[in-house]
Amino acid sequence: HILRPSPPVPSLLPGEKRPTLTSPQPPSRLVQVSKNYRSVIRACMEDMHQAAISTRDSALQSQYSIQVSILSAMELIWNLCEILFVEAAPAGPLLLRLLDWVQLHICDVDNMVREVLSSENPSKHKLFWNVVDIFVLQGRMDEARHLLSKEAIANPTSMNMYKILDDLMKKMPVPSLGNTQTLTEMELKWQHWHEECQRYLQDGTFASNSHMESICKILLGDENAILEKKELMTTWYHFLVTRLLYSHPTVKPMELRFYAQSSMDMFLGEESSPEPLDTILMAAFEFELHQVIKECSVALSNWWFVAHLTDLLDHCKLLQSHNLYFGSNMREFLLLEYASGLFSHPSLWQLGVDYFDHCPEYGRVYLELHIERIPLNTEQKALKVLRICEQRQMHEQVRSICKIMAMKALRNNRLGSALSWSIRAKDAAFATLISDRFLKDYCERGCFSDLDLIDNLGPSMLLSDRLTFLGKYREFHRLYGEKRFSEAARLLLMLMTAHIAPCSFWMTLLTDALPLLEQKEVIFSAEQTYELMRCLEDLTAGKLNRQKFQDDDVETMKVEMLRLALARNLARVIVKEGTLEGS
Amino acid sequence: MLPNRPPFPPQVSVINTVDTSHEDMIHDAQMDYYGTRLATCSSDRSVKIFDVRNGGQILIADLRGHEGPVWQVAWAHPMYGNILASCSYDRKVIIWKEENGTWEKTYEYTGHDSSVNSVCWAPHDYGLILACGSSDGAISLLSYTGDGQWEVKKISNAHTIGCNAVSWAPAVVPGSLIEQPSGQKPNYIKRFASGGCDNLVKIWKEEDGQWKEEQKLEAHSDWVRDVAWAPSIGLPTSTIASCSQDGRVFIWTCDDASGNSWSPKLLHKFNDVVWHVSWSITANILAVSGGDNKVTLWKESVDGLWACISDVNKGQGGVSAVTEGQQNEQ
Repeated sequence: HILRPSPPVPSLLPGEKRPTLTSPQPPSRLVQVSKNYRSVIRACMEDMHQAAISTRDSALQSQYSIQVSILSAMELIWNLCEILFVEAAPAGPLLLRLLDWVQLHICDVDNMVREVLSSENPSKHKLFWNVVDIFVLQGRMDEARHLLSKEAIANPTSMNMYKILDDLMKKMPVPSLGNTQTLTEMELKWQHWHEECQRYLQDGTFASNSHMESICKILLGDENAILEKKELMTTWYHFLVTRLLYSHPTVKPMELRFYAQSSMDMFLGEESSPEPLDTILMAAFEFELHQVIKECSVALSNWWFVAHLTDLLDHCKLLQSHNLYFGSNMREFLLLEYASGLFSHPSLWQLGVDYFDHCPEYGRVYLELHIERIPLNTEQKALKVLRICEQRQMHEQVRSICKIMAMKALRNNRLGSALSWSIRAKDAAFATLISDRFLKDYCERGCFSDLDLIDNLGPSMLLSDRLTFLGKYREFHRLYGEKRFSEAARLLLMLMTAHIAPCSFWMTLLTDALPLLEQKEVIFSAEQTYELMRCLEDLTAGKLNRQKFQDDDVETMKVEMLRLALARNLARVIVKEGTLEGS
Repeated sequence: MLPNRPPFPPQVSVINTVDTSHEDMIHDAQMDYYGTRLATCSSDRSVKIFDVRNGGQILIADLRGHEGPVWQVAWAHPMYGNILASCSYDRKVIIWKEENGTWEKTYEYTGHDSSVNSVCWAPHDYGLILACGSSDGAISLLSYTGDGQWEVKKISNAHTIGCNAVSWAPAVVPGSLIEQPSGQKPNYIKRFASGGCDNLVKIWKEEDGQWKEEQKLEAHSDWVRDVAWAPSIGLPTSTIASCSQDGRVFIWTCDDASGNSWSPKLLHKFNDVVWHVSWSITANILAVSGGDNKVTLWKESVDGLWACISDVNKGQGGVSAVTEGQQNEQ
């Protein structure tokens, strides 16, 4: 069976994005960044397109196709914003950029072209004139002329007309990118050229070939002639650019709005009304940045686009930093929204952290609120989250998360893990609780779990009294195991006399002392033995009133044994201490 | 050929529906802290817990113990373990705990004379404290003191006729975002808001171990059904949302740290009773649910007005039934 590939969600977009720029950047760098964004969108579009054509599921396919079209709209808008706002192309280059924009995004010309060129007799192909027209409409003069030459060859009778038209097209003045001519110079040349075209048209030079005549009319910027090719242009913004090319190539950025509005009206006519995409583009042409951002926010379902576009525009110093009602500016507001959205994703939340870092006013607080709510399914994830909190000195969150992990471990009876988490959380109360559990376990089973942890507690032992006792008690067992009996004895006694051990545990400790008392060699000194006896008396005296103790045979027997052992030890040690050495 | 008029999907959409197989009306549904589990309670006297990760719905537990319809459930902070509180018409508040993978009753409180309508856990910084509001007009506060013991403090006659809702204030000192705190633990003043059948929203404050009524907020003309104190990011403003039988939802704001002057703003007047209000984690979105069978999401806009965002026909106020998108409900 075939494995279905997991759907590439538009969340591929945030995965590629590098977080926002930090310091002021030179304009050219900003344009470069903008181009990077666009290439990210295109890459995503490509992937989505691949997914769409490779899937068999028709519902999924239509879903992917919708995504592709949304992404292409995004790129369209971004590209226009780049031209108008980031690059801020002045009159002259502005038109060239707009032409590029149209060529890049609109009309599937290449398929048509390939079809026509690959046929044996291109000029006889039914789409021939369509292709020539679209080249002219997009200002692709060389390509238009190349095609026309084929027509001229095939139709020698129109050679004359062709030569004139070709010449006109060759001579058409276009704005230059470099500083080789001023706008005024260009305008002058253009005026002359325009008049020349006018003359030829009026002379009826192209009267016998309607195609060439219509091309000449287009060259003259005749709106009706251009509008006739509506089907080829498909959109009002294509119409706008073509109009500008042929009637006002030196258009200034601020003049765009008038042409844009009238172009849309003329193109759409009475029947259709603008769609969201049209409104956004119109707002851009009118240089209403806030309107653009607002319309995009409404129209697009995720915040990625507006957040990053606004950030870029903010770096271009184009957004007045007017404070919003709740104190942060538009850029931060959008970034916060976007990043908050990322946190609900199982793996993208890490990106969200970066974004919050770049929000100087509220980022930290938002991060504090969100980071605690990331589900901590594995220890690894918890450690990752902790590292992030520690790097940012979010101590409250660190403690809270450690406590949660400790609790979880305790519930699953993983005492060692629970202990190390509560140490990390510096939670004395919890550490005491866990130490009690350890001790209880020991009493029940006679051995410790997690020896490694307890042995290596180090200074963190001091976190809670009970924990200290646990550590020291384990040390006692170790000393005993290494047969360092006198040290072990001393430690044991100290645990009781210094009140490190809880009273409830004294019986156990005394019982532990039994083997030491029964050793062949005397371990406890007289002093120590008296101490032990005192401890035993303290213990039994306090329990005289308790019914349970008196009835419990085992307990009574233990006490008896202890008394006996202590007495015997005392006897031996008195003798030993009384004896001179070496005699 | 790339179409040049792509469709734009709406901003908020349903991400999951859960079939709970409850046999009667469901009165409350609450996500846990991480958004991985859902607890629901119903008139069929049961509380059910589901694992809802990755769009799934696996029944983890079906808790029985109440003898009447269960009105509300509330999850405690995960640092105390998996703890869930439920309250019911049978006058009981039951606290459930997950031990070794199974859910069990860990405490039952029967100190009320009438239906207990609302339960709300306090911010974890205060310890494990549960506030319960009841139809006998009293509010009780259960504090966990350790070893399975709970201490009870009762505020009698908090609201005449009955108390319908309780909601704790966040453990954030107002204004702490602006004036950088010294780094030591701040002195919290415990506060919570309650709504009752006397049409009032009251704010309670703890002073020297006693609970006193601090403020009375009057604006509703019928029973207050729910109150929700918004989470705070440390701005000086405190915000409370309240909704009522009269179909109105008010947003109360207090601009000064001492909590003295609260001013109401009407969010919207609905055509039917509004049952619940709930804030998102960062308190920028309010979810409202009502008798008109709809859930709407509201957000404050730049000019201070509240706008409905879960609506495709923008600005009309008419709404389509959608549920909360990605935010956790409190």
